[in-house]
Amino acid sequence: MLWQQLANGIAIGSVYALISLGLTMVYGILRILHVAHAGIYTLGAYVGLLSFRIVGNFWLSLIMGMAGAAIAGYFVERFLYTPLLHLPRIAPLIVSIGLFTALEEAFRIVAGPHTLAYNARVGLGDLSIGSFHLTETQLLILFITFAILMFLWAFLTKTRTGLAMRACAQDPETTSSFGVNVGGIIAINFLIGSAMAGAAGVLIGVYDNQVWPTMGSIPAYKALAIVVLGGLGNIPGTVLASIVVGLAETFFIGVLAIPFPRDAVAFIAMILVLMFRPYGLLGKA
Amino acid sequence: MKRGVFCFGVFVLAVLFIAFSAHGQDIPVGFFAPITGPAAADGASAKNAVELGLKEVNDAGGIKGKKVNLIIYDDRLNPQEAVAIANKLIEKDKAVGVVSGSYSGPTRVTAPIFQKAGIPMVAGYAVHPDVTWDPTQKKPNDFIFRNGFLGEIEGAAAAEFAVKNLKAKKISIISMDNDFGRAISSGFAARAEKLGAAILSKQMYKFPGEKDFRPFLTRIKEGNPDLIFAAGYYNEAASIVRQAKELGITSQILGEEGFDSPKFLEIAGPAAEGVIIATNLDRDDPRPLVQNFLKNYRKAYNEDADMVGASSYDAFMILVNAIGKAGTDSKAIQKALLETKDYNGLTGKISRFVQGEVVKPVQIQVVKGGKFRRLGVVDNWEVITPPTK
Repeated sequence: MLWQQLANGIAIGSVYALISLGLTMVYGILRILHVAHAGIYTLGAYVGLLSFRIVGNFWLSLIMGMAGAAIAGYFVERFLYTPLLHLPRIAPLIVSIGLFTALEEAFRIVAGPHTLAYNARVGLGDLSIGSFHLTETQLLILFITFAILMFLWAFLTKTRTGLAMRACAQDPETTSSFGVNVGGIIAINFLIGSAMAGAAGVLIGVYDNQVWPTMGSIPAYKALAIVVLGGLGNIPGTVLASIVVGLAETFFIGVLAIPFPRDAVAFIAMILVLMFRPYGLLGKA
Repeated sequence: MKRGVFCFGVFVLAVLFIAFSAHGQDIPVGFFAPITGPAAADGASAKNAVELGLKEVNDAGGIKGKKVNLIIYDDRLNPQEAVAIANKLIEKDKAVGVVSGSYSGPTRVTAPIFQKAGIPMVAGYAVHPDVTWDPTQKKPNDFIFRNGFLGEIEGAAAAEFAVKNLKAKKISIISMDNDFGRAISSGFAARAEKLGAAILSKQMYKFPGEKDFRPFLTRIKEGNPDLIFAAGYYNEAASIVRQAKELGITSQILGEEGFDSPKFLEIAGPAAEGVIIATNLDRDDPRPLVQNFLKNYRKAYNEDADMVGASSYDAFMILVNAIGKAGTDSKAIQKALLETKDYNGLTGKISRFVQGEVVKPVQIQVVKGGKFRRLGVVDNWEVITPPTK
């Protein structure tokens, strides 16, 4: 049973990682709390579901969901955040919260208030090794998250654009003086972060077999807690924090059987981290 | 200027006169349901079914020649909203009686308001005890009636079937952490233990919000129970059933009326097959009342009727029946409701109301071929008679 709970925890933690990474990347480069990121995640789920209902292929719907989310993220950056960058950071935060609420209402009006089923199967089948049992959707989540993380790692460490992105996160002005197009880097940052949120939306849609207008409301604040836990802007820290939160939630419920609201785990962890390690799990003091 | 004011005054008087004279002919009956918001699917079912009933009544000439004017409000599953609606129905709409097509939350906050105003309300499927009971005065709300089962009764009936008919000896319980979930699972556990079954585990999940039941179900799987009693609405129900199947759990799943929705069958898909529920609508009831309703509902809305719709329809018809007997005076309607005896309801024959609580058999349905079908009926008086306080 312990192995099974481990699989459950890592699977949900992986999805948290995909959502939180975009958030932490945006914070790292623009110092904006991008609350509407959870709206982009929901949008990804809806675009994926729509594509799936039209073509009936999971992989294509995943790509469409990611593409839809990436484009939406790009528009948010270009038309909402960039024009506000000269204002205090509270302005884009308010815009972000407003946009998130507007997106949720828009989903409800367009797609209806009902939960929609995202009944995608890819034909992987389940994986059983002894008492360790991974369901098909869990396998899918682990596989896709791993692939995306590998891509992100390679992109950030092996390409010039990735280098420029890391430089921007440290000091945009100096980076700009080296002839780097900072605006372009910010746009790429949003495209990648939003595509990951879109992938998370599609994966959760399939994992829970449910897509609904307010599916982003819990991730909206949980991702925030995870990002703080990982150290704002710290990418490996965020991945670690996501897995830790996913596992902690699962073990609190399934092993310790503490009647404890699941969504509180991330926040208790966040409070502890702020008290004892305000620079995050992997950050340096 | 003065002339303008005078003209405006005449206009207002004219509008008021027309409005009141129109009201004078119709019988105003109030209705509220969560038509938008998180329970919108149930709200739509309730509204659709009651409108079907309204059409039947008015097409047949209304009540003693007067048409019923149904005043519909959307409470969005929000108790604050429901309080405003209750006051509007009393003050503005002058409703002679009210039908709740909503959940416990909005219904129980309106109950004391209607009780105080002396306006009878029939609740379709709200389960909380405080709908018919005033906890501050420690006495029943004698203007409030309930067509659905108390959570404890439905849970006890489910346990009766689980232990006596399904021969379950080891049982695990997973329930949502709200009024309904707590009431139904405690009713279930008490009856099951009384009948000699062992409750292996009792887990509560957060409602609303929980979507990932794998940690709970993995724990249940370890105990290898004969039966899992699960409480939740159709979204949670569908997730529980699907995820149990994914994890390779083979124990029989027994649910409750929250499962009773076409949305459950749609989202759960093939995993729903074989799931048993306790509810109050029997699709295989041969009475023409039931078969005509199911047929007409399907024809009108192009989807199958569910428990929520049927219960709200019943609540409306019970009220209409009482108005037919007693006229439009609210006190007389209440008296007629109190005297209800062997009423032929869509969701079963109602023998009477005990302190506002319905007395009727609990239906047991099973999912077969993607549809709910009859499996059994629990009519043991010891189980289905509500306790008097």
